[in-house]
This record gives sequence, C-alpha cells and structure tokens, in this order.
Amino acid sequence: MHDANKPRDTRAPVVGENVTRLDGAAKVTGVARYVDDLPAMPGELHGATVRSPLPRGVLRAVMLDPSFDWSDVTVVTAKDVPDNVVQLIVDDQPVLAAERVNHRYEPVALVACADKAKLARAVAAVTLDIEPLPAVFDAEESLLGRTVIWGESNVQNRYLITKGAADADDGEAAFEAALRACDVVVRGEYSTHHQEQLYIETNGMVAWWDDDGVHATGSLQCPYYVHKAFKRCFHLEPEQIHITQAVTGGGFGGKEEYPSLIAMHAALLAKKSGRPVRMIYDRVEDFEATTKRHPSRCIVETGCDADGTLRALKMRVLMDAGAYVTLSPVVLSRGVLHAGGCYRWRDVRIEGVSVATNTPPNGAFRGFGAPQTTWAIERHLDAVARRLGIDAGELKRKNLLAEGDSTATSQVLHGSIGGAECVEKAFAASDYVAKRRRGPIVEGRKARGIGCSVFMHGGGFTGSGERMLKGKVAVDLLLGGRLEVRSASTDIGQGTETIFAQIAADAAGVSISAVSVAVPSTTRVPDSGPTVASRTVMVVGSIVERAAREIAERVEAVRRAGESFAAAGDRLLAQEGPQTALVQYEPPAWVNWDDKRYKGDAYPVYAWMVDVAEVEVDLDTFETRVLEFWSAADVGKAIHPLMCKGQLEGGSLQAIGWALSEEVVWKDGAIVNPRMTNYIIPTALDAPPFHTILVEAPYAHGPGGGAKGIGELPMDGGASAVAAAVEHAIGVAIDHLPLTPERLFAAWARSNSEAAQ
Amino acid sequence: MSLVDLPRYEFARPATLDETCAMLAEREAKREKTVLLAGGTDFMVQVSQGKLASDPLPLVVDIGRLDELRGVRLDGSRLRIGAAVTYLELQRDPIVREYAPLVAQMTHDIGGPTIQARGTLGGNLATASPAGDGIAAIAAYDPIIEVQSVRGRRRIPMAELQTGYKATTRAGDELIVAIELPLPAHGAAWCWRKVGTRLAQAISKVALGAVAEVSGGKVGRIGLAIASVGPTTSLLPRTRALVTATPLANLTAATVDAVVAEDVSPIDDVRSTREYRVHTAKAVVRGFLRELGAPV
Repeated sequence: MHDANKPRDTRAPVVGENVTRLDGAAKVTGVARYVDDLPAMPGELHGATVRSPLPRGVLRAVMLDPSFDWSDVTVVTAKDVPDNVVQLIVDDQPVLAAERVNHRYEPVALVACADKAKLARAVAAVTLDIEPLPAVFDAEESLLGRTVIWGESNVQNRYLITKGAADADDGEAAFEAALRACDVVVRGEYSTHHQEQLYIETNGMVAWWDDDGVHATGSLQCPYYVHKAFKRCFHLEPEQIHITQAVTGGGFGGKEEYPSLIAMHAALLAKKSGRPVRMIYDRVEDFEATTKRHPSRCIVETGCDADGTLRALKMRVLMDAGAYVTLSPVVLSRGVLHAGGCYRWRDVRIEGVSVATNTPPNGAFRGFGAPQTTWAIERHLDAVARRLGIDAGELKRKNLLAEGDSTATSQVLHGSIGGAECVEKAFAASDYVAKRRRGPIVEGRKARGIGCSVFMHGGGFTGSGERMLKGKVAVDLLLGGRLEVRSASTDIGQGTETIFAQIAADAAGVSISAVSVAVPSTTRVPDSGPTVASRTVMVVGSIVERAAREIAERVEAVRRAGESFAAAGDRLLAQEGPQTALVQYEPPAWVNWDDKRYKGDAYPVYAWMVDVAEVEVDLDTFETRVLEFWSAADVGKAIHPLMCKGQLEGGSLQAIGWALSEEVVWKDGAIVNPRMTNYIIPTALDAPPFHTILVEAPYAHGPGGGAKGIGELPMDGGASAVAAAVEHAIGVAIDHLPLTPERLFAAWARSNSEAAQ
Repeated sequence: MSLVDLPRYEFARPATLDETCAMLAEREAKREKTVLLAGGTDFMVQVSQGKLASDPLPLVVDIGRLDELRGVRLDGSRLRIGAAVTYLELQRDPIVREYAPLVAQMTHDIGGPTIQARGTLGGNLATASPAGDGIAAIAAYDPIIEVQSVRGRRRIPMAELQTGYKATTRAGDELIVAIELPLPAHGAAWCWRKVGTRLAQAISKVALGAVAEVSGGKVGRIGLAIASVGPTTSLLPRTRALVTATPLANLTAATVDAVVAEDVSPIDDVRSTREYRVHTAKAVVRGFLRELGAPV
C-alpha cells in the first residue's frame, strides 16, 4: 500500500515499460501531418532547384530563356543571397553556387511558381553556362593532390591519436619499432562505400515571412542548426527566426545538416516573391542532392603476441568528404575515436584524414564514422585470428576492454562496461562457439556459416563537445498537475516524445498521461543541442529528468497533507505565477578531454554490442541470406524495451543492407541509381529473424536509472558480422564493402584461380 | 510523383475488343500516339521517369477490363491465358497452379503484392523488357502470342515476337489478346529460378524458366528461357539442342557451360555485371539439369 500522503507516488513507474507510443495513433491513422500534408497557405508557391549538371567548373552565367513567360515565376540566384554561406563548421559551402560549381547537383538557382507544371518547365528554361574544370571523384586520388579542388591540398582535416610508444618525441619511429618487435604482425586494407539514409519521407520545407520575421516548418532533426544558418544567411536577430519541426518521417542523420539548405532556399524564394514557398524533394532529387555516408579506406597494421594478446595498432583512416566540409571533421573524429574498436592496445598510432572530392557533400548518417572504422578493425581482427589459427570470437573476447583498462585515447574505463556480458549472452544464444568449431555446413549448393562482431559506441558529443554545447531543456508546470517538456530534441520516428514523457513522468511522480512534449520550435523550446550522436535519451533525457524532478520538488514544497499533486500545483501557479524549470546539461566533472593531443575521455560512457550473424551463401549465384541475427547490447537501462529493441534491430538491418546490397553507383560524379528500384535496401523478406538481448549495465549519469545512447550503436557492427559469417561459409574473406553477389563471385573466382596456380 | 502530379492525359475505355481495334486502327492511320493500359505498372514508371514522350501526350486506352482479354481456359493440352489476367489472378487460379505451376510460381517473384495485383502477362509481353520475369516463365512453354487488329487475328510464336531491346513484331494497331501455352505432359519437370537484387521488389539479374519431359534418361521436350542475359528474353536454342540430343548421363558441366555461354549475351548495367550473369546463367541451367538427373 502506498502512503495516502504521497498521492504522486501512487502511479506505477513507466520507465522500463512498453507504454503506447504517444505519436503512434496519429501516425497509423494518417492524422499526423508531415510537411507535405500541411495545408497550402494563401498565395503559396512551389519551389524548385536548378542544379549543376557538371561535377566541377566555372559558373559563367545563369541564363533565362527569353521566350519563356517569367511573369509569374520567381527566380533566385547567388546575388539574391544576403550572406552566401551555409553556417556549420567551415564557411566553404555557398547557399547557391556563385562562381564555381564543385559537385554535380549543386544548387545554382531557385525558381518558384504557383503552377507546378509550369514550375517544371521554368526549371528547364534556366540554362547554366559552366566552363568545365577537371574533377576528382576518388579519395585516394584526391589525397595525392595532383588536381587541387579544395584549399591548398584537398585535405580538409587530420587527426592523430597516439598511445604508448607513439607518444614519444620520435613517436613514429618508436611506434614502428614496437610494432616490428611483436610476434605476429598483420597488415590489411579495408574500405567502405557510400550509403543513402533513405528515410521514408523525403526532405521538404515550407517557408514564409511576416511581421515576426521568417518562418520555416519542415522535416528536420535539428531546429537550431537551421536557426543558426538563417541568422547567418539573412543577418537576422535570433527572435526573428522561427524554425518548427513538422512530423518527420525518418532521418538517420540525413536531416541533420541538409534541412538548413532547403529551408534557406525556400526562405529566399519566399522573401523575393513575398509569398509562402513550399519545397518538397521527390525521391530522385533527394537521393541525388542530399548527404550520404562517407566512403572510407583504412590501412591497418597490428602486432600481437603469439597467444593473441594484442599489442600495437597502426591505422590510417581516409574519408571522402565530398565537395564541402559540412560535418566531415566530426565524422572523421568519431571515426578515429572508434578505430581501436573495443580492445586493449599498448601502442597506438591512428591517423585520420578527410579529403575533398567533386561529389555531393557526405554527411551525417547513423554511426557517424564509427561504422567505417569498426568495419576495418573487426575485419582486421578476423584476419589476425586467421593468421594465428584461433577463432576470431575468442581473439576478440580475450582482448576486450574491461574495468580499469585504457582505450586507444588512454581513457580509463570505469563502470557501465557490459561488453563481456554481451559476448557471453550473444555467443550462448547463437551457439556461436560450437557452430564456428563445427565449420561451415554445406548442403547441396548452399553453404552456411556464422560470424561475430564486437563493438562499442560512445554516447553524446565527442570530448568536450557537450561542455561547449550547453544543451538546455525546460519543463513547465501546467494547470491540473500537468507537465510540458520543452526541448529541441526531435522525434523522427525513434520515439523521443514517448521516452521523454516516460522519463519526466517518473521523475515527477505523475502519470504519463499528465505529460506532454512540445513540438520543437525555436520560438518555444530552448536549444537542447541537435538530435544526433546517440545523445537524445542519455544527455537530453537526463536534463528532462532533472527539470521534471525540480518541478515536482517545487510542488512538493507547497503540498499540504492529503492534497493531490494537481491541487498543489494549481495553488503554486496561482500564488507564484508560471513555473518553469530550465536545466542545462553538465557532463560528469571527471570527463577530461585534451582536444590538442586527442587524448582522454572521448565519451563519458560507451554502449556495447555483440552481433552474431548466421548466413547462407548460394554457391551457384553467390546470393547471401542472413538466416538468423543475434545481438546482445548493453544499453545501460532500457527506458522502453520494445522501442529499444526496435532501434537495435532496425539499425542492424540498415547495417545488413549496407553490407550486402546497398550501393550508390556513380558515373562521372553523377548517381546512376537514384531511386528505390535499383538502390537496393532490404525488404521485410530480406530481413532475418532478430534475436535481441538487452543487457543493462547502468550508467551513473544516465536517466531513468542509467540509460545510455544506443541509436547509432547497431549500425557499427552488423556488416562485419555478416562478412565474417560469409567468410566462414565459403572461405573467401571480403575486406571491401559491399558484399554483393557480383563481388563475392569475382573474389571467389580470383581465389580459385590463385589456388589453381 | 503522386497521381495528382500526372499530366492531364486523355483517357478512353472502349467497351469491346472490336471497338478497341477500330480505335487503334484509326489512330495508327493518323499517326497518333496511343498507350494501351492494362495494369499500368510499366506506364507509371515510364511517366515518373520522364521516359514517355509527352508532346503531344498519348491517348491512354484502358484495355484491362475487356472480356476478350480476361480469363484462363484449358483446351485439351493448351492453356489459354487472357492478356489482361493479373499475376495475382494467375497465382490463385487452380488451373494455372495445376497445369502450369511454373507460371504460378513466377508470380510470387513479381514486384510485391500490389504489383502482382495490377500487372499482367500481356503488359509484360508488350513492354518486352529482357528483364521481364513473366516472359521468361511463359517462354519456357514456347507459347503462341495472339494479337488482334481490324485486319484480323495473328498468332505469333514466342521465338518470333521479340526483335530487339523492348521491340516486338506487334504492329502499332495490334493488341495482345491472349497467350496460349502448349502444355508439356502432366507432371513434367519444371523450374523457376529468379536471381534478383533482393527477395521482393526486385528486377531480375538472371531468371530461368524451364520445363522438360524426361523419359528413359533422355529429354524429349525441353523449354528454357532466361531473362536479363541479352537484349531479348534468351530462349537458349543451342542449349536446348544439346540437351535433347544427349542422354542426360552424358552431359557434362563443361559442355553445358559452353553452349549456355554461346546462347547468352548479357551486358554490364546498374544491376549486375556481364561476368556474373554469364556465370549465373550457366549455374541455374545446370541446376535444372541436375534435377533432371544430369551429372553437371
């Protein structure tokens, strides 16, 4: 029985329960309004983009066909842009190309018209006079710097991580000596390819101007990114900019930085025409113009003892940034920070380089650099195990980071380390050890094999990022004992709204039905930081929890014996006026990161995961089917176990698609397959049964009793588990993604002809 | 592209086949463009990809409800399938499942349920894409394609239908009415093997339709057809000749591979490579011959 004096505790806790999604009913019944469902505003125009047909060149002129009737068409070019820079990290990307074009599909001009059919003709009536310049499409070629397309050398960013011998003044030589002294030295090269986020809803935005300033509403992850971009582009005061999220149909990073551009485009047309402007990309345009996952090429060399104890790791990580910097420095950073995997190394020398190519800028995508380096280190350890003649799973288990161990950045791990438990549980559930020992099973023309990957993903912004970001959340007390959570963290399908309500309800001791979550609009919500980096639950959720608790404490302070929370709250509001708890995030005090030396606590905590994939390869057609997929993931604490598993399984399927079938096909900087017909993501039939085990090693600073960020985690390791399983099945090791039947066949034919010699 | 973004097509739905033929003849004489719409699954893709001439817009003529193009009928050893019968109807038709199981099986690999509910064999034949799964499946039966115009009815053997990439001997005033399958002996061996880009919503990289009558270790009648390994559906004449001329026990992988390689002429495209398609064509043909008892 509950104490009658504590009515606010009579509610059963909802954290850890699979409550009904707050956004579920509206979405399944079609009531939810995505941006293109928003009713047309009076006088609204449709906007479209004129894009560069060439990958690189000097833009001489934008010409309008004089025979075309332009009377009801608005045209915007670079000279209409007040400050022609996309505000992000480096000021190298124009809102509209002015003198140069640096990639195919680069926006050069904008047109708007009320009549959609005429709009399409207007786009065709704009001609771009571009003098072609030599273009570079390959990162290795760009690194050579023979044709300089960006800055002085094409190199955008470099990072160096050192540890042990590599820390010395003559680090490189000392490291080499340490590496060469190892019993077994293995070298390998591993590469990954572009990947399209392929959210269901394409990018879209509606913008208009009025006495309050400029408004943009649309599909987005980070309202304050758009806000900052507008402030720069239009030279406005912060309060003149009103950025609001519409119901958003998926993002996966693809709506992190790109919405700033389309929103500015719509606002530029709206400004010039004096009308609201709606810009909605169709699938082909969205596919061609928006960001993709950075391709990568890693050269790895490791040294270990004869018994498999890992000692030295050398890695060069090369990432293809595309034509502009956008978020590449951060992607590369997360990439190198995850390059050591979840293993103990004595000596480390990891170098990261990102270079420009004349392709559309690559950008944020679930995992954010970590899937690339995880692919490299996991495939490499598979190669080391092969050399040593031991099982890769055993090698990984043996060298797994544990309490008190230090990572590649010399971060000493304390607490919430579920790696070993994940290994035990995933191996046991899948019978991994016995199946590996038994070897592949060949029945008829099908071969079955099993493989694993072990990995971790840092939650929140890298290093001192959260400290600089100062994310904030507000919780308001409303009449009737209700709470409203105001944050800039968007629900893009991953369940933010529901999870914040769960966290706030338990923190305040109220029913979840008493909690509402505000629509993220920069006019109404504080800047909680972007909805990225697996930080929404772990970082922003933790301040939602604190803010809700603070409101509850204020109510509690005035509550009389026997009085309900609602009655006390109403009285507090009547006596004291509006009650808002505004809480700013502070990382744990012990987080210590040295940005210059790239050393220290890269992330306050890591989520851990082990994937085991069992695959069947058709020995005639080299089609690979994932038959079963087991995962064990240390999530700290599952706020909503069902959605948590949904994130893990969805991310794993995205990784399987990246591994087996997704491939952006390029020709001279243009995309050959910009549609769902021939960019092949898995369907429900291609998805294996997922067996997902949640491990909870709570994080002391996580909300709801220890939640960690897991949104990106499952993207990191799925591909390498599949590749290890394919290798087990047919004895062909593939180190370059994707493992399409064509590539498997070619590798198999090569290995056969080598064997024949 | 959504439906509301479609250009404003003129649309006609003649009540009878004769009326349709008359309309086609008249338009053809005036060199006016016409699109015959059965399920619309190719038409919509062409429109959305801007591959359809739009100046002037063609007249869209719905033939999907013409009685003469509907229904499945068994006449002795001949199975007649109306050109506008959908894949879903084929899938559910007890006669098709009993007498042409290969055709029924193929329908499961067409797009997804929504495409299966709209798409038709007649449409597949008219589009004449070399990647058409429906064509590869029925071509294994060496069917007759019946076309009709005001000039009368014409029976085109499958081998004479396709003349090149998406080109056929069907004249501009003719429409496909039915497909007639000369059925092999009841219980004959058959195989449908689609190698697509994924398990659903996939265009074939290679797809084999095959039927065979085997007795005493020899193949009497054989039908083989492969999609996506040449500009037209490949009917593998040399492979058929080899298999019917050689006792199964005497076939070898090397001889089969050699003739299949002569019978196909695939290209590199966005879906696959020439090398892979040649390899896979050999592999799926040998897979079928193994089922017949050949040591290949």
